[in-house]
Amino acid sequence: MRDFSYVRADSIEAARKAAALPGAMLLAGGTTLVDLAKCGVAQPETVVDITHLKGLDTISVDATHATLGALAKMSHVADHAGIKSHFPAVSEALWQAASAQLRNMATVGGNLMQRTRCPYFRDPSNFSACNKREPGSGCSAIGGVTRGHAVLGTSRACIAMYPGDLATALVAFDATVHLGQRVLKVDDFFLQPGDTPEREHDIRAGEMITAIEIPGSAAARRSTYLKVRDRQSYEFAAASAAVGLELETDGRTIRDLRVALGGVATKPWRARAVEEALKGKVLDEDAVRKASGLAMEGAVDHGANHYKIELAPRVVARAILKLGETA
Amino acid sequence: MTAHNIRHANTRHADSRHGDASDGAVGGRLSRVDGPAKITGAAKYAFEQQLDGLAHAVMVEATIAAGTVRAIDTRAAETAPGVLLVLTPDTIMEIKGASDWLGNPPTQKTYSPLARTVTYSGQHIAAVVAETFEQAVAAAALVEVSYDETPAIVDLSDPKAGDGIPIDAMTKEWGDAEAAFAAAPLRICAAYNTQREYQAAMEPHGLIARWQGEELTIWEPSQWLDGMARTYAEWFGVPFENVRLVSPYIGGGFGSKALALAHSAVAAASAKMLGRPVKLVLTRPQNFTSYGGRAATRQTVTIGAGRDGKIQSIVHRGVNETAIDGMWVEPLASVTSIMYATPNFSSKQNVVRVNTVVPGAKRAPGENPSAFGIESAIDELAHELGIDPLEMRLINYAEEDPEVNKPWSTRQLREAFAAGAERFGWARRTPKPRSMRDGKQLIGWGVAAGTYPVRRAYGEAVVRILADGSVEVESSSIDMGQGTYTILAQTAAETVGVPADDVVVKLGDSRYPRAGVAGGSRLAGVMTGAVYKAATSALDQLVGLAISDPRSPFHALQANTLVVANGRITAPRGDGPDVSVAELLASVGRDRIEATGDTMPANSTAEDRYKNYTTIATSVPHTEGDYSRHSWCAHFIEVRVDEDFGTVRVSRVVSALDSGRLYNPKLAESQWKGGIIMGIGQALLEEGIVDRRHGRIVNNNLADYLVPTNADIPDIEVISVGIPDLHSSVLGGKGVGELAIVGVAPAIANAVFHATGKRVRDLPITLEKLI
Amino acid sequence: MIDQTKSTTIPLHLTINGHRHELEVEPRVTLLDALRDRLDLTGTKKGCDHGQCGACTVHVDGERVLACLTLAAQVEGRSITTIEGLAGADGTLSAVQAAFLEQDAFQCGYCTPGQIMSAVACIREGHAGSDEEIREYMAGNLCRCGAYPNIVAAVRQAALEVAS
Repeated sequence: MRDFSYVRADSIEAARKAAALPGAMLLAGGTTLVDLAKCGVAQPETVVDITHLKGLDTISVDATHATLGALAKMSHVADHAGIKSHFPAVSEALWQAASAQLRNMATVGGNLMQRTRCPYFRDPSNFSACNKREPGSGCSAIGGVTRGHAVLGTSRACIAMYPGDLATALVAFDATVHLGQRVLKVDDFFLQPGDTPEREHDIRAGEMITAIEIPGSAAARRSTYLKVRDRQSYEFAAASAAVGLELETDGRTIRDLRVALGGVATKPWRARAVEEALKGKVLDEDAVRKASGLAMEGAVDHGANHYKIELAPRVVARAILKLGETA
Repeated sequence: MTAHNIRHANTRHADSRHGDASDGAVGGRLSRVDGPAKITGAAKYAFEQQLDGLAHAVMVEATIAAGTVRAIDTRAAETAPGVLLVLTPDTIMEIKGASDWLGNPPTQKTYSPLARTVTYSGQHIAAVVAETFEQAVAAAALVEVSYDETPAIVDLSDPKAGDGIPIDAMTKEWGDAEAAFAAAPLRICAAYNTQREYQAAMEPHGLIARWQGEELTIWEPSQWLDGMARTYAEWFGVPFENVRLVSPYIGGGFGSKALALAHSAVAAASAKMLGRPVKLVLTRPQNFTSYGGRAATRQTVTIGAGRDGKIQSIVHRGVNETAIDGMWVEPLASVTSIMYATPNFSSKQNVVRVNTVVPGAKRAPGENPSAFGIESAIDELAHELGIDPLEMRLINYAEEDPEVNKPWSTRQLREAFAAGAERFGWARRTPKPRSMRDGKQLIGWGVAAGTYPVRRAYGEAVVRILADGSVEVESSSIDMGQGTYTILAQTAAETVGVPADDVVVKLGDSRYPRAGVAGGSRLAGVMTGAVYKAATSALDQLVGLAISDPRSPFHALQANTLVVANGRITAPRGDGPDVSVAELLASVGRDRIEATGDTMPANSTAEDRYKNYTTIATSVPHTEGDYSRHSWCAHFIEVRVDEDFGTVRVSRVVSALDSGRLYNPKLAESQWKGGIIMGIGQALLEEGIVDRRHGRIVNNNLADYLVPTNADIPDIEVISVGIPDLHSSVLGGKGVGELAIVGVAPAIANAVFHATGKRVRDLPITLEKLI
Repeated sequence: MIDQTKSTTIPLHLTINGHRHELEVEPRVTLLDALRDRLDLTGTKKGCDHGQCGACTVHVDGERVLACLTLAAQVEGRSITTIEGLAGADGTLSAVQAAFLEQDAFQCGYCTPGQIMSAVACIREGHAGSDEEIREYMAGNLCRCGAYPNIVAAVRQAALEVAS
C-alpha cells in the first residue's frame, strides 16, 4: 500500500472540499477502499475519513418512504424494523451481503461505490491490461477466466460484473441517491461501461453521497431478495433477483411488479421487460417462467459465464413465485 | 521466549463441570489442555514473537509462468523509505543445496530460492526487507522485473502436456486384468477428475529468523521441526545442533507445513546478511503459489463384474500433474487396489510436468483422489446392476488385503457400514434417481468408503517427575490441532499415575527430544508409544526408589511393587504408608526423576536416530510383517439439490470410522468432522482456476477459492467403530486425521447422482454442471 | 480537522480493552497491524488481510468488525475490544470462551479468537436464535480445521447461558 496522508473530516462541507482535491478519496467503512489500496488498485494520496461525521447515519422509515443516511451501516439498515416491514427486499439484500463483520463496517453510501470483483481488475501487478483501471490498456478478462463476469451491459472495453446486492434492491424500487445539490435515480447513478468503464458512477468532484431515499409502495412491502451462489453464505451472487409484487384485490392478477437482477450485469439491472410482460396477467408458474426469460434479452456470454443466462431467469421466476405463495 | 508451557490445572474452567476424573486417562474425553491459551489469545504462534530490531521482509514473485528473468530494476525499491535490503538472485548470499525429505543428497551444490529461470507464475524472484511491514510492502511493489517469456504448459489438458512420465513404482498388477475385463458380463469404464486444491490453512506460511553468531533460531509453523532444522543446517552449512526451530502452535497445516521452503531460505539469508532478525509472512495470494496444494488428477476406472455384482477385474490408469522442476507423485491406486476383492487388477500411473509450483501433500494425498475414482465407479456399477450401492460394497468386501495377500490387522469396515447405515436410515432409501424430493429440492442419499494406511515411525520423549509431584513431558513433536498436547498429557498421567491436571506437556521446540514428521496420521501412535515408554521408565525409577531407598517410608515394607495412582503411592494391599509423589521424592532427597523413552529398534546408532527424525526414509511400511494395517470409514451423506439452480447443499452426514483405539474421543471426533468438512469443500467448491493465457491461478484468495463456511455445513454425526489394534501402535490406535476426508467426495457425487440422475465425474460439483 | 503531510507518522491514542495506548504510526497502518506488530496484542489473527476470512474480528464500540480493513487512525476515540480483553480481570472466562472449550469448537486455534469475538457479537445482536441463524451469522469466520458443528454447539450453549 502506498503511503497517504490522513484527514479526518469534521463536517460535510470540509469532507467535500477535501475530497475534491486531486488524489483524495473518501473513507467510510473502508471495506472497498482499504482492500483495493492493499491490492494496489486504489492509490489515494489523501484519505478523507468521514466516519466521524455526525448525523449522517440516521434511518427513517414510514409507509411512504425510507431515508437512509449515507453512513448508516448495512447491518443496522438490514435489522431496522421499518425496513424489514416496508422494504423486506432491502433488508434481505443487505443481510445476505458479505459477512456480519463487513456489514457492521460498510455504510450504505459506501456500498453504492463498491467496485467490481473482477480478478483482473484487482491484480494490477499480474494483469496490466484493464480499461477500468487504466483507460485504453485493454481488458484482460475477455478471453480469460470469466465464470464471474457479466452477461448483460457489457462492452468491448469491459465485462466486469457489478457485485453489490443493496443497489439491486434499490433500483427495483426506484430509489434515489442524494449527492448534495443533485438527486439521481440509483438506476441512473450507475453507468454501463461502454467505452469508459473507468466511470462507474455519475458522481462529480466535490460531490458526496449524503442519503438514499426509497419510495414506499405495495410492491416494496411485498418484496424479496433471492440470492443464488456456490456457497450458502459469504459470497457474491452467481445470480440474484430483487422482486416486488402487488396483486389486484382478486389475489391472482398482477397489478405491479418490480424486478432487478444482481450478479449478472455490469450494473444493478432493472428487468422492465419481465415486469411489463406480467403486469395485468394472472400469476401462474408457466407464465412467470416464460416472462422471466425476458430478463436475459441482449445477454452475451463469455464462455464460462454462460450458465448465468440459464440461471438468472430461474432466480427471477422463483422469487416471483415465492412472493405469490405468501398471502 | 520458550516454547509452549501450560499448566492446565490453573486454567480448567467451565468444562470441569462436565468432566470427571476418568477424562484424564487414555481414552478419556479431556478438553484440550492448550485450549485456555487459544481461547484467550494468550497462545503465541510461531511468527508472533516480538523481537528487538525485527525487520520485515516481503517477497516479489514472477508474473509469468515460463521464461527467464532478463533484468530486475531495484533502484526505486532501494531508495524507498525504510528499506534495508533488496535481494535478487544476484545479491542473495550463497546457500548450499540440501538433501530431500528422504535423505537423498542434494543434486545441486547451491540452492537458489530466488529464480532466474521461471517455471511457474508466482515463483519468488526478489525480496525486500524494510524497517516496517508497510514499508516493505510498498517497496516490493516498486521492484520492476522484465522477462523473456516462453510458452507455458498450463495444466493437464494443455495440448503441450503430453502423456507424461510413467512411474513404474506405482504399477500394481495381479491376475490378467485386461482379459478378465474383456470376458466380464458387465463392464463399466469412466474417467474421474479432481482439480488443484489448496490446503488454505488459516495461518499463512511465514517465519522469523534470527542469527546469533553461527546459531540460527527459526520461529516457524512446522509439522516437522527436526526435518526442517536439518534443511536449514544444510543450507547454511552449520551443524544440525546449531539450528533451533520453535513452533509452539501451528495454525493449520494439512500437509503444507512440513518443509522449509524458498521463502524460508530467503528470510534466514536476509537475517544473516542484515545481522538482524527478520520476519517474513506470505500474503494470502502467495500462499497459493509458494508451495503446492493437491495436484490435479485424472483417472480412468474400468471394472468388469458378474451379474451377481462380483468384481472380476479392475483396470485403473491415473495421471497427476507435477512441476517442471520438481516431482510429486499422488498415488492414485492406493485405495483402488485394496478396497475390494478382485482376482484381476492392473494399475499404472503417469505424472505430467506443467508450469506450476511443485504440488504437495494435502490431507490424505493419494487416498483422497483414489477413493473418488473407485468409490464413484463402484456406485456406477451398482446402478448398472440394480444392486443397492451398500450391498454392492458388501458383495465385494475384501476379507484380506488383495494386493499383498495378508490379513488385515483390524478392519471394522463391515461394522462401519452397518452402524452408519442404521443411524442414517439407509434402508429407507428409494433406489431410483430423482425419486426423493422436498418441494423444489431434489434429495439424494449416497454412500462411500474410505481408508488410510497406518504409517509408523519412531519417536522419543522425556518424562520427568518433579519435586512437587507434577509430571513434565518434552518432545519436539507438534500440535496443529490434532490434540498432541492433550493426548500426551493423558498418556503420561495414566502411565505414571497422576491426575492429567498435574502433567505439563512441552512441544514444538527442536531442543526437546526428537520426533519425526507430523504427517500421514502417524504422530499420535508414535508419540503416545514414546511417552508411554518414557513414563513407564520414570514410574519404575520412582517405585524402585520407594522400595529400595533406606530413607523411603516404604523401605521397611520389603514390597516387590507399589501402586501409584492419582498422585499418591501406596502398597498393593493398602497396608502401608500412603504418601504423595512429592512427599516420596522429598523423603529420598530427590528433586526429580527423569527418563527418556523411545521406540527405536534396539541397538540403533546415533546415525540411525538422526535419519529417523530428519527424514521419512525409516517409516515402517504398513504391510510390514504379517499384517496389512489401515484405518477405515464409511460415509452416508444426504444432499439437497435445487432443481432450478443446481446448487448442492449437504444436509446430513453420518460417518462411521475405524481408527482403532481413540486416545481422546472428543478430539478424534473433531478431527474426523474436520476431514469430512474439507471433503465437502473438495466435492462442491474447491478448484484452483488457471488463466490459460497466463498460466496463473486467478482465484488465489479466500473470496474466490471457496472453502466451506459455517453455513455450508450441517450437523455431522461420527461413530467410532474401531477396536484396539496392537499391530498398529503401542497403545492400539490407528490414524485419525487423514482418514475422514477419504470417501467424502464420492459419497457426495453418488448422492448427487441419486438426487438428479446426473453423474458428475469432474470435481467440484458446481451449479453449472447440474442446470 | 487533522491534516498530516505525507510519509510521516501520526500520533494516535487508542483505547483497547479499556486501556489507553499511545502510538506513532503511518496513516496506512491498519488496526490489525497496529495490534499485532506495535502493541503485542497478537491474539487477533491475520489470515487473509482482505476481509475474506474473519480471523481479525474485533469489537469497535461493541460491534464486530474486521481489523484488517480498518485503519488504526479511523478508530481513535472508539472503544476497541480484542480477544485479550474478553475474559474478566480475574481470568474468568466469558460464557462463549468456556463453551468453546467445552464443545471443542476449535483445533489449530488460529481462527478461534475471531470466531469467539464474532460469537459474542452474534449473541448480543440477537442472531443466535436457531442453529440455522447461528450458521448464517457465523459464516464470516472461516475455519479450515472444520470445527463448524462444534462452533454452532458452543454458540447455542453460550446464548442459552447468557439469556438465563
